[in-house]
Amino acid sequence: MLEHVTPKPLPEVDLPELNQVGKPLRRVDALGKAVGATVYAADFSMPNMLHAKVFRSPVPSARIAKLDVSEARALPGVACVMTGKDTHGAKLNTDLPGQTGRAARAGSDAPVLATEVVRYVGDPIALVAAESLAIAEEAMRLIEIDLEELPGVFDPEEALQPGSPILFEPDNVVAQYKVRKGDLESGMAEADVIVENTFKMPFVEHAYVEPDGGVAWVDEQGVINIRVCTQVIEHFRSIARALKVPQNKIRIRGTMVGGGFGSKEDITVEIFLAFLARETGRPVKLVYTREEAFAATAKRHPFTITHRTGVKKDGRITASEIKMIADSGAYPYLTPYVLLYATGMAAGPYRIDNLHVDSIAAATNQSFTSAFRGFGGPQAALGYEQQMDEIAKALGLDPLDVRRVNYMKTGDSTSTGQVVRSAAWSEECATRALHALGDRTPSTNTRKIGRGMASTFQSYGRIMWFHDTSCAWVGMEQDGTVVLRCGVPDIGAGQSNSICQITAEILGVPLDCVAIYATDSAVTPLAGTSTATRQLYMSGNAVTMAATAVRKRLVSRAAKQLGVAETDLVVSDSRIAVRTSPDCFIAHKDLVKLCAAEGIALSELSQFNAPFTEGLDPETGQGDIWPDFTFGAQAVEVAVDTETGEITLLKSAACHDIGRAINPAAVHGQIAGGSHQGLGYALMEEFELSEGYIKTPSLAEYLVPTVLDFPRTETIILESGTGVGPFGSKGIGEPALTPAAPAVANAVADALGVRINELPFTPKRVLEAVEKTRAAREHEDTET
Amino acid sequence: MVPMARSVRITLNVNGRVHEIAVVPNAVLLHTLRELGYTDVKNGCEIGECGACAVLLNGKSVNSCMVLTVQADGAEIITNAGLGTLDKPHVIQEAFADAGAVQCGFCTPGMVISTKALLDKNDNPTEAEIREALSGNLCRCTGYGQIVEAVKLAASRLAAASSQREDKREAEATNRLHVSDAMSKGGDGAC
Amino acid sequence: MTLPTFEVLRPKTLAEALRWLAAQPDAFPIAGGTNLIPDARAGKLDPNTVIDISTLAELRGIRVKDDQVRIGACTTIAELLSSKEIAAQAPVLHASAKTFANTLIRNRATIGGNLVNNAPCADTAPALLVLDAEVELSSEGGKRWLRLADFLQAPFSVDKEDQEMLTAVRFGVPPANRIGRFRKMGLRKISCMAKVDVAMLLTFDDAHKCSDARLSLGAACPTALRAAEAETALTGKELSPDCIRTVAEAAARAAVPREGSEYKQQVVAGLVRQLLQEIAEEVGGTDG
Repeated sequence: MLEHVTPKPLPEVDLPELNQVGKPLRRVDALGKAVGATVYAADFSMPNMLHAKVFRSPVPSARIAKLDVSEARALPGVACVMTGKDTHGAKLNTDLPGQTGRAARAGSDAPVLATEVVRYVGDPIALVAAESLAIAEEAMRLIEIDLEELPGVFDPEEALQPGSPILFEPDNVVAQYKVRKGDLESGMAEADVIVENTFKMPFVEHAYVEPDGGVAWVDEQGVINIRVCTQVIEHFRSIARALKVPQNKIRIRGTMVGGGFGSKEDITVEIFLAFLARETGRPVKLVYTREEAFAATAKRHPFTITHRTGVKKDGRITASEIKMIADSGAYPYLTPYVLLYATGMAAGPYRIDNLHVDSIAAATNQSFTSAFRGFGGPQAALGYEQQMDEIAKALGLDPLDVRRVNYMKTGDSTSTGQVVRSAAWSEECATRALHALGDRTPSTNTRKIGRGMASTFQSYGRIMWFHDTSCAWVGMEQDGTVVLRCGVPDIGAGQSNSICQITAEILGVPLDCVAIYATDSAVTPLAGTSTATRQLYMSGNAVTMAATAVRKRLVSRAAKQLGVAETDLVVSDSRIAVRTSPDCFIAHKDLVKLCAAEGIALSELSQFNAPFTEGLDPETGQGDIWPDFTFGAQAVEVAVDTETGEITLLKSAACHDIGRAINPAAVHGQIAGGSHQGLGYALMEEFELSEGYIKTPSLAEYLVPTVLDFPRTETIILESGTGVGPFGSKGIGEPALTPAAPAVANAVADALGVRINELPFTPKRVLEAVEKTRAAREHEDTET
Repeated sequence: MVPMARSVRITLNVNGRVHEIAVVPNAVLLHTLRELGYTDVKNGCEIGECGACAVLLNGKSVNSCMVLTVQADGAEIITNAGLGTLDKPHVIQEAFADAGAVQCGFCTPGMVISTKALLDKNDNPTEAEIREALSGNLCRCTGYGQIVEAVKLAASRLAAASSQREDKREAEATNRLHVSDAMSKGGDGAC
Repeated sequence: MTLPTFEVLRPKTLAEALRWLAAQPDAFPIAGGTNLIPDARAGKLDPNTVIDISTLAELRGIRVKDDQVRIGACTTIAELLSSKEIAAQAPVLHASAKTFANTLIRNRATIGGNLVNNAPCADTAPALLVLDAEVELSSEGGKRWLRLADFLQAPFSVDKEDQEMLTAVRFGVPPANRIGRFRKMGLRKISCMAKVDVAMLLTFDDAHKCSDARLSLGAACPTALRAAEAETALTGKELSPDCIRTVAEAAARAAVPREGSEYKQQVVAGLVRQLLQEIAEEVGGTDG
């Protein structure tokens, strides 16, 4: 089973060989980072700078009966202490970051500083700015607070019961969706077998290696500058609103981000820095400790997902009913959208004509949950892919065969009725991932080997009723070198490099002739968020438009100069030459001088608009949601020690159709890295809360995979050329993570013969499952 | 008042530069280095769990967050930025950049330091030895695969450079031999 | 984050250090700092004075003389790991050093620090217990040797006066035919607190019977301990499958996990069985 899988040959795809695009070139940011020259958010200081700390709630649910900061204020060296009174109860809009569409806000707000109640451990209450960090820390100790503890609720199902403490009026329901497609009853009636299972997944922490931080100051024009590691520079709008200043008086200078994965999509330190810089008139630095980053920033949504599926004996799904409940934590943040993603992807890359999905997210007095790579997609996949294996088991079929019968193909519709227009290479990816595992390792008595696979799909590009846009400016200097200006935040996945490579390709220059100036909300065209696997698609297309416009003008002038038709010319190696006689050329550096003298524009600012839609039918959940999807798969082999409960990952392979690789090394790196996070999700990561208190406060308790935990994941790239990104590319950032955890879940279930329905698979849970199997076998033996 | 302990005067040699400074006893090397401007030494956790703050302390790779500054008095410290620059990157740094081992880059300085410590005592490490050497450095972006490749690439480039230098030295020595031969033979104009 | 304020004393010799410690018994010696620094940062410790013993040559060094191994308290775990003598004479200790934290921590953490801290998951303790190690406690007034088993009293508590400092660890070189094993089980493959540690040191006679059995547990009990019942079950026996099972069950009973961690007893049994199975295959002469 799941062995000796022979992939079928791929269809012919004509992808022309290019000069820069498609090459694993050294990324433009790599050397600066490698030699330690890159200045991250916490590496920056200014003269006369203050150091800030945030005073946070130590309890999960309480009324602030008294808050006295007078002693803290009086401490020598303290420049200011601010409370919710000083911020005039300012609120942050925590949804729709970076959007200019007119989509209705989901009403997600959070107070900048709590004034009446605190709702989670870590809820911010006061800000301190002082001459040194030591003084700021001492001032924190002098803040007097009386907290009257209130009853709290720590489970989303409990939060939905009448009588529960209310965090989100009127009933703790932060978001709710439904999908109604076809006729569920008749679909179930048609089934030969009905399979029902429930799967649970926990809070997960992003654990990027760079803690959140930044520096803010007010400049000579009264503009509040905030230099910060962020995935979204458009937050200046929300910050301006909170500070009651015009939007053009906040400038976000985004840095190279040391990992974000969605956590830096929310506003983190920016708002505190803005208030303190304005209040003190001095530069202020705020950097979270690791423990603070754990407590104060977003987590992945815990989900409980129940699948009830009707299937024919041959594996075909006739009906599916899916229920999802998610934990929104203490404040909504991006919950409404995460839930939407999970709902829209709940059924997986499968053709299901009769489908009901009901999803709900409830508030609890726990860490707030928001964006984390996959944004509900990974949780949905843990539901549908584990269910597929359970279906296979119930029918006695091979897990791959069951999927083959149901895979969506190009032209089929998703669960919300959106037609898949690009390649849907689920089977192509799954077979290659499985094939890469080679022969199955033999089990022993106490070391059970299991194989598992997962076929997944994950959107790229944002929800289309957000009316997403991205802008970029491309220009050529007088010496033929190229400048790219784009607001794109680079969070480590090569966001800035990809658009440089595209620009280099289109303008026919080597990559190192392109300089990029990025991530400054005042001076670089706004390119939207580095989230939702959208940057290559959106900014890549914007850059393509801009560079193409410049190229057109250059080619036109060159054609005149060389006396040939435009179609006779090739653009490469910093020159424009006649295809059939390359000695007849004009170098860029000479061409630009001609153009400049004649007033021909050597630069272009372009805006790329994603397709705009207006939303889903609220009764049926039907409609188009995203621009496109990336299809992929992962296959793993595990060894489970049934005596100690330890799981060892023996082999791992992942295959995704990414349309076209702009930089293959970067794509391989994303698939490997995303997989790794997914493997950690399955095997060791749980952000534990107990009655609202954090049990895993640091990297000593919250374990992320080290270099010794997993073997290298073999990463296989397929290129269908059918993506809507530049050169037919699709996105990979989030899709890379989605199939990993369900593949492991299925492998562990295969090894044990029984499924552990809750992540992560700790030794304790494994031993409980082993005991369950042993007891069941004993029971069987006694029965027979 | 924040009680001020008496300052201690110490000397740190960082990347070849001597710093004579006064520090408070409870100062931690990580923070002192960053305050002196060595911001390539990163603060990822302060409790020795992530390795982002790794430096070479008298040749040994250590978490600088787990060293009191006074304990480093008189020590020779190398940080990642001391190994190379944009114009003259160290072989290890260049290998990381070339092998796709740098994504967000925040773990990279610590990884380079651990790599340097490894290659200084083992110029041809196995994959297992490489992984062991990096066991204290967390990366959240790459899945480590390309980082391991980078270390292998660095090792092979260092070996090639070293054998090139060897060849060059040998060639020079042989040349000198020929010259002296020629001279003792009375010279036949061969050189 | 800033550490709490303290003074630092930097003695040049051990004698000076002990003199200063006698004058200020509430001072904390610091060697590698891998416990003291995070604990101080977390507010678990609030020392007024810290005495830096990390540079004292008298506290370092691994010496084998007259069939005794003596390890200076400030010997780092990395030095233990790279020591040819330890690898040859005490492979069970070498094996435990291999699983200790990670490469970076090992370059600072010391054997003395690990023992004095006596966290339940202290990784060097189980191996040293089967080696019947002793610790040297020195003060201005003199020094004394104490059995490690007596030194380790309770979690984070050891039998040491305030003005005493752990200065060395010693154990007799085990006979060449003694077989040692160490396994650590944690929630990831490296760089984590042990959930269960098992160490064993066994001698077999010509009839493949175990003439001397030492088996210890760590992390599955408040403080590392020798599993006496398991040792008795093993002494004088061949490593048959039945014997192995009995010993494993006895070892599991010696574990005293906290509430909610009862699964650790199963893990102990599993690790012991696996290690004994390995040894049985090495020793040969059974049907196992």
